[in-house]
Amino acid sequence: MLKEIRFLFSLWKTNLLAAMEYRAAFLSQMIGMMLNNAVYFIFWVIFFDRFKELRGWQLSDMFLIFGVAAGAFGLASLLFGNAFNLSEIIANGRLDYYLSLPRPVLLHTIASRTVASGMGDFTYGILSYLASGQTSWSGLARFFFGVILACAAFTAFMIIVHSLTFWLGNASGFAGLALNAMLSFALYPVSLFEGAAKFVLFTIIPAALMGAIPAEFARSFDWGTLGELSLGAFVLLALAILIFQRGLRRYESGSAIQTEV
Amino acid sequence: MKALKKYWAIFKIQVVNSLAYPAELLWRSLAIVLFLWIFAQLWKVTYAAAGTATIGGLSLHDTLWYLMLAETIELSRPRLARNIADTVKDGSIAYLLNKPYNFLLYHLSASLGESVFRWLLNAAFGGLIAWMLVGPPPDQRGWPLALIAILGAWLLNFCTSATIGLAAFVAEEVAPFEWIYQKFIFILGGMLIPLDFYPKGLQSIAKALPFAYMMYGPARLFVTPDLGRFAALLAGQLAWLAFFGGLLSLAFARGARRLAINGG
Repeated sequence: MLKEIRFLFSLWKTNLLAAMEYRAAFLSQMIGMMLNNAVYFIFWVIFFDRFKELRGWQLSDMFLIFGVAAGAFGLASLLFGNAFNLSEIIANGRLDYYLSLPRPVLLHTIASRTVASGMGDFTYGILSYLASGQTSWSGLARFFFGVILACAAFTAFMIIVHSLTFWLGNASGFAGLALNAMLSFALYPVSLFEGAAKFVLFTIIPAALMGAIPAEFARSFDWGTLGELSLGAFVLLALAILIFQRGLRRYESGSAIQTEV
Repeated sequence: MKALKKYWAIFKIQVVNSLAYPAELLWRSLAIVLFLWIFAQLWKVTYAAAGTATIGGLSLHDTLWYLMLAETIELSRPRLARNIADTVKDGSIAYLLNKPYNFLLYHLSASLGESVFRWLLNAAFGGLIAWMLVGPPPDQRGWPLALIAILGAWLLNFCTSATIGLAAFVAEEVAPFEWIYQKFIFILGGMLIPLDFYPKGLQSIAKALPFAYMMYGPARLFVTPDLGRFAALLAGQLAWLAFFGGLLSLAFARGARRLAINGG
């Protein structure tokens, strides 16, 4: 276990150094993504300026939910960048490389890439959290803990949808739709959705685990919320590993053992 | 006429290419259903909370059909900035430049071919979900006018996206320009929220900017067709097209001069 953690840290360090090799590109992607998120958020500033409140939700709640969701998305992009293009790796036979090495295949695959713009998302997430008016140290600690669990749930969801490639041929189109669904639902006030839609947000498209629940936990400590978030992330991760391992049995080699950069 | 034939052939090849992966096309088209459903939840609650039948002169029915057309334009517009930038960075642009066609007209024909089915499917799925959510579409007599405006918006998008792509001749990474441009279309173009809902000052500024002619203009014309509105929109689109078309030609001419190709 300790060996794998050390390996993971070495991978992240190498990825970061590789991304930093092109410093101007790295910085422009980071700053560009922060600006991109800020411009997108203007929608909510205009919305709440005009309508003031939406079923109990105010602008400060949106800052909080954006903070958590952008933080989790950014962390996943930085640490597990290949979770976003796993279906292409599977479909193009590029798993051969990871299968030929004595390391856990799934972990090695998803952690082998860093998306530079993720740094912009992560930093924006922290700034958005601070802009929500939550200023206590304990709140900040809960925010980071919530972001880590939300990142785990989100990464697991990505692994699950991309792993369908083992059965469908290439599920990248479906995975793109699932990513859109997860982000869109996570970035809207959960109070908009009722009945069956709310059930979907907590199960099939677990967007609540990326937005509403970690945001609630960051706002105030509650054992119930913590349990919900931890259990959700754990179940999704277990499911992701199980589905990927099952799918791997169906994988056909592409004879593509080559250097992965 | 002979010159047009080759671009027509490029257009047709791209149409066929876009149909090569039908499942992929279908999944992408379903995204509009998701977005419109979320918008419907948001605006139903907002209209109910506001307690009025219209906001900024638009009913809930108008707003949803406005957003349907805006989403269709956004999801079908050419995403060629990154394609062009990649060909500039890896040098493969040389293979396009030495062919007997104009580089920009080649991309125009190819992008149009790529967009046609995407547009049709987005409009079909988006129209279906909007109809189910808020009832039948707006007056059909306005549709031809809206179609012309959509074509104008598409051309404007083409010019700006291609210019961003050509920025790769001077910038290491063009993705941030593309992201921010897209978000300007979302906010100042009125894709996420009709510009009529903005405070008066911001509304005037946003309506004067080119983004409004790419998104708000055609979508607003679709829900409230009117000849006067159409004429003003068309004049604005032509003026911005002249500006961005000129900028694109200039960027291409300067970029081609900076191009250095090594090897074969």
